Amino acid sequence: MTRGGETRVAAFRARLLAAMALVVVALTLFGLYLVERSVTSETQHDLRVAFTSELGLLRTVRDIRHASLAERCRVLVRKPRIHAALEDNALDLLYPSAMDELGDALPPGDDTGAQPSMRARFYRFVDIDGRVIPPLSAAEVGALSPDEERRLGFKGVPQEQQNGYLVRDEREIIEIFATPIISTETGEAIAALVAGFPVALNDHASSGLRNGLWVDGRLYFPSLDEAARAALAAEIAPAVARSQDELAKGRAVRVNGAEQMLFCERLNPRSLFSPAYEVGIFPLADLLARQTKLRWKALVAGTLLLCLGVAASFYISARLAVPVRELATVSAENRVLRERAEAALKIKTDELERTARFSANASHQLTTPVAVLRAGLDELLARENFTVDTREEVSLLVHQTSRLSGIISDLLLLSRLDSGRLELTLSPVDLTHIIETCVDDLQLLYDAAAPEVQIDLPRALHVAGDTRYTLLIVQNLLDNARKYGHAGEPIRVSARMENDSVTLIVANRGEPIPRPSWEQIFERFHRGGVGENIPGHGLGLNLARELARLHGGDLCLTRSDSEWTEFAVQFRAASVDSRIAAV
Amino acid sequence: MKLPVLFFIAALFAAAHGVADTVIEGRIDLPKSRTAPVVSKRYEIVSKGGVLAPYPPFAVVWLEGDFPKATAPSVQQMAQKDLAFVTPLLPVQVGTKVEFPNLDDTYHNIFSFSPVKRFDLGRYTKDVRPIPSQVFDKPGMVTLRCDIHEHMRGIILVLDSPYFVKTDADGHYRLAGLPSGHCTLKAWLSSKSTLEHPVELKAGATLRVDLP
Repeated sequence: MTRGGETRVAAFRARLLAAMALVVVALTLFGLYLVERSVTSETQHDLRVAFTSELGLLRTVRDIRHASLAERCRVLVRKPRIHAALEDNALDLLYPSAMDELGDALPPGDDTGAQPSMRARFYRFVDIDGRVIPPLSAAEVGALSPDEERRLGFKGVPQEQQNGYLVRDEREIIEIFATPIISTETGEAIAALVAGFPVALNDHASSGLRNGLWVDGRLYFPSLDEAARAALAAEIAPAVARSQDELAKGRAVRVNGAEQMLFCERLNPRSLFSPAYEVGIFPLADLLARQTKLRWKALVAGTLLLCLGVAASFYISARLAVPVRELATVSAENRVLRERAEAALKIKTDELERTARFSANASHQLTTPVAVLRAGLDELLARENFTVDTREEVSLLVHQTSRLSGIISDLLLLSRLDSGRLELTLSPVDLTHIIETCVDDLQLLYDAAAPEVQIDLPRALHVAGDTRYTLLIVQNLLDNARKYGHAGEPIRVSARMENDSVTLIVANRGEPIPRPSWEQIFERFHRGGVGENIPGHGLGLNLARELARLHGGDLCLTRSDSEWTEFAVQFRAASVDSRIAAV
Repeated sequence: MKLPVLFFIAALFAAAHGVADTVIEGRIDLPKSRTAPVVSKRYEIVSKGGVLAPYPPFAVVWLEGDFPKATAPSVQQMAQKDLAFVTPLLPVQVGTKVEFPNLDDTYHNIFSFSPVKRFDLGRYTKDVRPIPSQVFDKPGMVTLRCDIHEHMRGIILVLDSPYFVKTDADGHYRLAGLPSGHCTLKAWLSSKSTLEHPVELKAGATLRVDLP
């Protein structure tokens, strides 16, 4: 390979390496980006799952407790004695009956009965106007401060159970259920039972989930110090003021310098009591640490992958360069061969052109001397002083001169054909007329020796052709048939039209042409296996075929057996329009 | 045509024998029954808008006046059967002892928070002897409830009179064997509706009073 080839292969290899390295880097970066995204979303998802399950557990416990307390209150207010006390005008019996009926659910008493959290801290009845019905002994139904008692009242009696929260002395959360007492006689709420149950805030030491309560615009969060509580309250207050659900899905906040997930959920939606929110915080430190660790892992893996990718692309580009190098070598050799072939072709073309030019020039140059020769011979024949023998020899010379001029004109025509300088003017030609003309010429030329010509033609037969050369084709074929047909046997001329083509068949009865020679007879100066006694110079069929092809048709030997030898020439039928034009 | 003749004959007969009976009879216009009479003919106390009344409707008619107290307290029964009081509305004279037999196979706990008579019989079954009872010594309406079956309602009307009767389903009543003199005829229709009408009874006379 040349030095230039080497350089090109090296350049190709460098470019390939660069492209592959670029692709590898891009893919790695994209992969890293995807990993980063997936790490982030996965850890967030993990976090969500973790705290949702924690929270779900807490909430399930809370909901079960809530539902059981609510149901407990509903059962209590259906007690017939309580209804009797309210409906039968026996308010003095209300609290004593309640004490009997509500049994272990309500204070006072030891804590041996229900669980402490299921035992009410206090209860009161509220009359139809929403005022608290004073108990006989506050100690027996749980003491309340005047402010607390005021907050238990309503404007009228609620028609559905209401749920509220109360923080007592900054140390105890009370969940309040206000359950309407529906009269069995009127079907309307005639009073309500308001009972308060203590709520325990459960911090989860294992997960770090911590709980608080937001009620009456204040945050109750025993496990946080004052500063952290204030910071959290500052987060919650505006969110709660804007929308009840804003913090339901959680928000990252900073409490005591640590990232925490804060979430709030309304505990008593649609309640007449002031809204209360459960506040929870879930530490994010673990999550962030895990995220950072995962990121580092991904980065290291990505770097390794990148190195590996670059090495692989180096190797692959080297491997790919080998066949390219071979290809380059081969193509250099090919180029040399091609250049040689082109040179040879040019020489051949030049030779051919020279030959054609020579043959044209020669034919042209020969025409004049032959004409002169012919004129001279004619003049000799006109003399009176020749003997019969001399005259006969001169006649023979005249005949040979005619033959010579025939060969010359054929050669001239062939050389024009070869050099592509022969141009046809195609127009509708009446083939029938041409055939008849040729047959007439045959009869005139050979008189008694002329063979019988059987003509079987359609009535009108127009082909696209040049009259002069079409005539030449037909003439050559008829002449050929006459020459090679046995004496006294007829020549048959027939034609048929198929779609756009006209096939003219000229047949004679003569010696059959052996199959292998069917193509050879169309070669120039080929005389077949016929005897030299038949006049001709081996150009007629070649010329006829060349002309037929120039007309867009062809000339073939289609049959040659003991009966007939048939030549078929195809023409293109003249289009109807052009036929009309010809008429 | 025939009725006056019969009355006349009866009056003549009574006058001839000197044991003429003093009677008040008539018809109380009862509230319209909301539906066709129940097939089972079972009465119950229903409440509508806080008003207790028997259903299908009937009234309790009594004569109020200055009558001598009953000497020996009579005993009446108000049973619990099929988780209901039978009869759901029982008129009794002041001083009557009412027994509350439990005819069901389950516990009942009959009590009353009514100001007229507060009592609580506690839980008991059908086998309890003596049958739990209460003496009603103040006139007025007593609403009975069961602490176990919150739907059960019964009413005892404690009347300061020995002369009382329940009307039939059409409101017809007849009080016989009455003393003569100036009295008040009362008809209890529901916990919120009692009609009254002053009457002057003449010995041996039959007075017809339709209320209202």
